[in-house]
Amino acid sequence: MKNAIQSAMRGLRWAWGHKVRTVVLLVVFTLLAPKPIRSQFVDPCCAILATGLTTISNTLGSVIGGGLNNILSIEKDISNFEQTVVWPQNLISEARSLVGRLQGIFNQIQGVMRIPVNSATLPTTQQFEQNLLSRDPNQIAQTGAQYTAVYGAVPDPTAASPQVRDMTDMTDAAAQAAMKRAIEIDALADLELQAADQINQSIQTAAPGGAPIIEGCAVR
Amino acid sequence: MMANLLFGFFFVLFSYWMVIARRRRQALAVILAGVLVVALVSPPQAQAQGSLVAAIQSVLNVINGLIKTALNSINSVRTAINNFYKQATWPVALINQAKAMVAQMIGQYRSVMQNIFNINLKSATLPNPIGLENAIRNHQTNDFASLTTWFGNTYGSVPNTTAASPADRTMMDMDDALAVDNLKTLKMSDAADDLTLHAADNIENAASQAAPGSAPFLTATAIVASIQSQALTQKMLAAELRQEAARLAHENALHKRGSAMTGNVNTQILNLLKRK
Repeated sequence: MKNAIQSAMRGLRWAWGHKVRTVVLLVVFTLLAPKPIRSQFVDPCCAILATGLTTISNTLGSVIGGGLNNILSIEKDISNFEQTVVWPQNLISEARSLVGRLQGIFNQIQGVMRIPVNSATLPTTQQFEQNLLSRDPNQIAQTGAQYTAVYGAVPDPTAASPQVRDMTDMTDAAAQAAMKRAIEIDALADLELQAADQINQSIQTAAPGGAPIIEGCAVR
Repeated sequence: MMANLLFGFFFVLFSYWMVIARRRRQALAVILAGVLVVALVSPPQAQAQGSLVAAIQSVLNVINGLIKTALNSINSVRTAINNFYKQATWPVALINQAKAMVAQMIGQYRSVMQNIFNINLKSATLPNPIGLENAIRNHQTNDFASLTTWFGNTYGSVPNTTAASPADRTMMDMDDALAVDNLKTLKMSDAADDLTLHAADNIENAASQAAPGSAPFLTATAIVASIQSQALTQKMLAAELRQEAARLAHENALHKRGSAMTGNVNTQILNLLKRK
């Protein structure tokens, strides 16, 4: 106790001897000492801020929260409707799967239609039959000669009257045209089958919204 | 917390230097250093931006005005879209009605049509024609050799080289070949038709269970099936065209031969008359 009193007395003597330093220290500490935080119960500014923030929070909850909840509710309803009624995933998958199975059937049909049906037994007729069943429009150029080899040519002018020659030539022309047309039709049918195959393969990988576009291409 | 620590540190250090400074010049240097540290470290004081109440009111006005109006508008639009979907675009009742109609059509027509397809058309009475008719109408594509045999048994084969002229043999072979080709094409078409009907049944069954979103797949593949069917019809049309053309060519060949024979006879008569 005595030491403490002596220390204090020594400090006071030092302060008396160094008045300027003591004042500087006091000023600095007074200015720099951390200030206490203002209490919201005492400070009116904080009270206003608290009330304002509470009001904002309540308004956000009721106006924005309520509005968003309403929208969410409708969006959920729409989403549920679209997923269960309009675009149910299981039915879309089933439809895609069916398209895949049908592709197998279409492949079978194409296989059946490609079985060779040639039946002629003589060289001349075999060649002509090959031409008629070729499904190749490039072979139409040879049809005329092969036709003549099988059915004969128009008689010579010495062997028939001009009228008879005209009539036989026209009849041959009609018969050959029909045969050539049959080759063309076969070629077109092959192309249609090829296109159908291509379209069906596209359908298997299409989205529900893309399928009608492919359908539009198929209708053409 | 950090500020208190820094202040304590600064307090101890500054006090220590102030106490140990022996001359006025040293004390002044310590004071200047302290002022410099305080000036550099202390944060600037925040300045108020207008009235707090006005700012809060402004925020509330935005929430109750602009945002509330926007949310209400979005809500109205989405509600309208929802109603439009359910009442105009995809009404569940009408979707179910469409599916029920497909099921009803299946029940009403499928078996009736199938029964018509299954009607027995065979009419031959003798063994060879019966065999040929069976081969023609069995919808199989793996018995073409049998069909050719039955055809030969019924209509006869091409005569030997000694029994007919080369021209006759060629024409007969061609006529037979085109007839048999077309019968084979007919069998292929029957088999393909069976497969097409099977595909059609599958599509129809799926349509009776479909949703608006899965139906496009079915309609698209149904159109593909329709194209296939159209191509088969065209192939049958081509076969029929070949057959008719061959018939015409055959008749014309007979005309050519007749005119050639007539010409030969005329020539022979003229030669006979010249000799007399």
